[in-house]
Amino acid sequence: MNRRTLLRSLAGTTIGLPFFEEMSLAATVKKPASEIPMRAFNVFFGLGIPAPLQKEGFDGVMEPLKPLADKLLIMRGVDHVRADESGINAHFDGASAAFTATRPDGEAKSGGASIDQLLLKEHYPNGQPKGIVPTLVAGTFFRRSRVSRYVHSYKEDGTVAASMQERPMDVFARVFGRIQGVDEASARLKKSVLDSVLEQYQFYSGNRSPLGVESKGRFKDHLDRVREYERRAFQFEVDQNAPDQPKPSELPHGGKADPGGQGIDITLEELTREWHLMSELYALAIQTDRARFGSLTFLAAGERIRLKGDYFYNGEKRYTFDDPGQLRASGDKGCSHEWWHKFREDKKNEQLRMHAHMKMREVAHFLSLLSADDCREANGKTILENAMITISTESGDGRHNDTKRELSGVFHAVTGAGGRLKTGEIIDVNSEGLDVYNTMIKTTGAKSELGPEKRDSKLVDKIIA
Amino acid sequence: MRLLLSIFLASSSLRGAPQPVVLYQFDEKSGAKIVDQSGAKPAVNLVISDLKAVKREASGLRVIKSTMIKSERPPARLISAVKKSGEITLSAWITPANGKQAGPARIVSLSKDSTHRNFTLGQEGDKYDVRLRTTKNDKNGIPSLPSSGRSVKLEKTHVVYTRSRDGRARVFLNGRKSGEKTVSGATSNWDGGYLLALGNEFTGDRPWLGEYHQVAIYDRALSESEVRGLFESGHKPRPKATPAELAKRRSRELFIAQIEPIFARHCLECHDASTAEGDLDLSQRTTAFADAKVISAGHLKKSVLWDSVESDEMPEKRDALTSTEKKYLREWIETGAVWTSETLDPSAHTLNSNAQNYPRRLTRSEYVETVRVVTGVDIFEEAMEMLPPDLRADGFTNTAYNLGVDFKHVEAHARLAELIVERMDVGAFAKRFSRSRSVTQKPIRALIESMGHWVLRGPLSSQDVDLYQGISTTVVATGEGFDVAVGYILQAMLQSPKFHYRIEPKGQIGSYEIASRLSYLVWGGPPDGELLEAAKRNQLYDSGQIKKQVERMLRDPRAVTQSQIFIAEWLHLERLDHLQPGKEKYPNWDPKLAHDMRRETDAFVKHILWEEKRPLSDLLNAQVTFVTPRLAKHYGLTVSGKEEELKRVDLEKNPSRGGLLTQGSLLTMGGDDASMVTRGLFVLHDLLRGSVKDPPPGTDTTPVPSAPGRSQRHVAEKRMKAESCGGCHAKFEPLAFALERYDGTGHYSIVDGFKNDLRQDGEVFIPGAKKVVKYHTAPELFDLLAASQRVQENITWKLAQFALGRPIATSDRPHLYSVHLESTKRGHTYQNVITALATSPLITQ
Repeated sequence: MNRRTLLRSLAGTTIGLPFFEEMSLAATVKKPASEIPMRAFNVFFGLGIPAPLQKEGFDGVMEPLKPLADKLLIMRGVDHVRADESGINAHFDGASAAFTATRPDGEAKSGGASIDQLLLKEHYPNGQPKGIVPTLVAGTFFRRSRVSRYVHSYKEDGTVAASMQERPMDVFARVFGRIQGVDEASARLKKSVLDSVLEQYQFYSGNRSPLGVESKGRFKDHLDRVREYERRAFQFEVDQNAPDQPKPSELPHGGKADPGGQGIDITLEELTREWHLMSELYALAIQTDRARFGSLTFLAAGERIRLKGDYFYNGEKRYTFDDPGQLRASGDKGCSHEWWHKFREDKKNEQLRMHAHMKMREVAHFLSLLSADDCREANGKTILENAMITISTESGDGRHNDTKRELSGVFHAVTGAGGRLKTGEIIDVNSEGLDVYNTMIKTTGAKSELGPEKRDSKLVDKIIA
Repeated sequence: MRLLLSIFLASSSLRGAPQPVVLYQFDEKSGAKIVDQSGAKPAVNLVISDLKAVKREASGLRVIKSTMIKSERPPARLISAVKKSGEITLSAWITPANGKQAGPARIVSLSKDSTHRNFTLGQEGDKYDVRLRTTKNDKNGIPSLPSSGRSVKLEKTHVVYTRSRDGRARVFLNGRKSGEKTVSGATSNWDGGYLLALGNEFTGDRPWLGEYHQVAIYDRALSESEVRGLFESGHKPRPKATPAELAKRRSRELFIAQIEPIFARHCLECHDASTAEGDLDLSQRTTAFADAKVISAGHLKKSVLWDSVESDEMPEKRDALTSTEKKYLREWIETGAVWTSETLDPSAHTLNSNAQNYPRRLTRSEYVETVRVVTGVDIFEEAMEMLPPDLRADGFTNTAYNLGVDFKHVEAHARLAELIVERMDVGAFAKRFSRSRSVTQKPIRALIESMGHWVLRGPLSSQDVDLYQGISTTVVATGEGFDVAVGYILQAMLQSPKFHYRIEPKGQIGSYEIASRLSYLVWGGPPDGELLEAAKRNQLYDSGQIKKQVERMLRDPRAVTQSQIFIAEWLHLERLDHLQPGKEKYPNWDPKLAHDMRRETDAFVKHILWEEKRPLSDLLNAQVTFVTPRLAKHYGLTVSGKEEELKRVDLEKNPSRGGLLTQGSLLTMGGDDASMVTRGLFVLHDLLRGSVKDPPPGTDTTPVPSAPGRSQRHVAEKRMKAESCGGCHAKFEPLAFALERYDGTGHYSIVDGFKNDLRQDGEVFIPGAKKVVKYHTAPELFDLLAASQRVQENITWKLAQFALGRPIATSDRPHLYSVHLESTKRGHTYQNVITALATSPLITQ
């Protein structure tokens, strides 16, 4: 019995996902569909892979993608130069261009739709079947200064396609729950307000509180009442077939996740734990056909974290991360981001390589969850093979003085989209991102295109299967 | 007044001359230990790591090569004291070995390593250099304050560093100023785990060589003259206090903290001036010591008082003193039985020994006012409907310990925040703080900082800014824009603990906390821009600046409203909202009268305290009032005019009215039966600050109704003669005799419903006074009360309690006496008392 069949058949029993030992899934997952639905997801990772390193293929930082090589098309030489917005941070431009191939439109809007949203509109003009989350946007990120650094699904008008779910519990609630009596977007914003209130009461009643004993006790009481309010006001109905709820995240979220752009200290274990949980929840949403479109973010563009911890790959210790120690700096200058600024083609670039390698490991982990035998569908192929999953980044090697270099050679990979696109190859497409994306979109039979109406598209034949 | 002064002086003398928190004289003959000779407990002794690196000299301790001299444990008392005071003085008599040592070379340091310290006094070549950690300086205490150039001389030098709470830091060399700068911030971030060190840093690489003659550290900034005095008196140890002096000091402390409350609780019931059973009056110093056998100072066995208490013979028919109380009494007599005041305060035992400072949640009225000032939105109706009422405790609804929170509060705070923001023009509001409408990091953080400073009454921490910025990113991530993001940020601020509470960190109070204390004291609302600006400039550590601000604030109409709120709280006028006299007894009662009565008192207060600026005690006998025609008719006065219009009435020729006690708002407190017990207890408790015990268990307290030939006066007199009741009832019921002619609704009549004549004569015993005073008419009583120092002092105490939001504690008494003295000197108007309170340590520390 394969894994997906197990998920479908073991009502209320425990399933063996690595971070979901306690999660049980009921049997109401839809029966195997005879038709394979159109699905498109954008997977983003921050800071990118400098073009020179992409040339090393699977021998370099892309090593973790190698086990999935036959299901992926690696595209080198994708150019987003048209997305350059003069005077705007290159991280922001690059991130805005990812999956949209357009320059940003102001601070919180993209220049147009993202791949997934265009396909959603084309293939589901009357909406998706009932019970499916229209667009699932999720991610783990800490740089929050501009939206497109971390949100990667945009509607045609450039606005975000759905609220970002940044905690595992948020993803769980979005997929398997429903907040009573209020619309979800409004509840989400109110929840962010309440989260800030909770944080402050926690601070004043906690060990770091500057207050005396009596005051702390009073704030503890208040905190308890706020928690009670949170439970009552934001109680969501959980689908009776949902797995158990994930444990609360231990990572900083909201404003605490980005203290003034100065970065946060984090261990690899903490980061990996959250990533895996997010990946598995997101994958579960796809496996159970609760989500067909959306995006998943592995760190924001221009991310600032100070990572520490031993890095293992395939059971072998590859490296010990110690960004602040190696950079001999605290604050933003002690963040892994700096390795990108220090990138030089003629140097070893060891730290950058290991960070990029580690992120590829995580992206590969997510993809592999959709590639397992239990994800095989009616046509005999796995979800990974049937869906159009685009993996991209902001590119750039950190030297913000050259737009061409910053926004050219942006790493891209894409799955076969049900045999529409080539896989098992690394191709130097050397094309504009807009043409690459539109080619991908056209293979699905879609009539619309990304980008300006009057522009003549160039089909990138070499990627079509 | 002389009495108050004596109490104040006695109490203030407890604080004594400045004493160092640690003191090293370096007069040990040998060994590795350097003893802390400050006398403070626990002592912070130092240990020399390498004895070969030092030489004991007659003049001190010479450090000849690198070593470490450090405390065995963190000087917790010093750290705690400086964190609390925000002030420090470092005093060192030293002789440097050379003029080149640098690093700075550590002379005295309270630190962890070369980059973490609370303070360091060091030598940097030819200058001395002092680093002090504050919330504005970094963890290394930088930027530092150096002495002037070439100031290091290779001779015995007195180096002093002082830093006051307003940030003024100075270096003195041999009594003369040698450097000055502002070191702003608080010392609340001092690390409690650092050790004290002489001669080196803990990393071992900042040695200072030379001779130590004396090192002393104080937990306050000594004045320039005090520093000069230290220099002139040299570094020889001052003579230690003699055992007799120490005993006297201890006895004085015991009297104020323990003995006065013990006497008030256990003894005065039978041994005050009015009772003096066994010819013993313990309420006065002179009478208490009149017979030397009763209390024999220093001779326990010769003290009859001790004998009778120790054997539980006294208190008679009452609970015996606890073993702890006996211990204190014994120690007090043995140490000299110092009696600091001429007259005992009979309510001393009702005070807490220590002030408990709960965080002050905004009351409903403070919340409404704060929202109005901060956002411009009037949320009164909704707040009154949604927020649970604040309940009275210790006589006021703003008593912090009782201002708890319920689920309903949190729910209401969230809903009200939504409503407030809905009613705001968010864009225009934000424009007051920033022209940018960008939601990217820098501009939105700048807006949050500026807007938060106003909404939350002070600067935000970077963590706070992070949180609010997080909201903005979440909002814009849903596709919303600037106004929506700012709206949600405002909602969060309006639910923040910093909005709903007046948060004051433990220990040192900062300038913004003082600003809030002042504004809520004077206005019952948040600081305005000018006050916040003064806080930002650290001006509110200066009593002159505070006075200037308060005088300005008192000219604002909000101060009038706040005084009316105080009076309403003190007199519990909220009762009037629910007043429903029995229809059978009062068939002509018009419910609108209750509202008229409240308006009468409000207008009266405004007139006396603000328009005429008369002393507060004039509220008790001023011959004027303000009534509607309806209320005038109820009072038997003649006033014409519109139905709802308040008219001023001169009462000089109307002996039945005049002063608060003749106003319906107060007279209705006794219920339909115009209870003499309730009215008498009000006068005793709320005007005279007296106390009586609760009735014994099982006492029948059913009111006895009037009847033909039996007025309430008769009923009261019968109670006063009863053995089980009279002891206490005699102390308060006569206080209400003057009010017998006013029925339960405040209507005046000389006979009751049974044609019994109603009298108005009686007697009053002012707690702490030597004798009972008779009065013949109600106005006579009102004049007596208005002239009573006890009453005037009580009003000061009530106002102070209202200002502090907590019951008065024993430790507050010296400050309260000072406030009362100060305000009385200036006429004891509301404005004087507020100003004296605002500049007293009760508010500023």
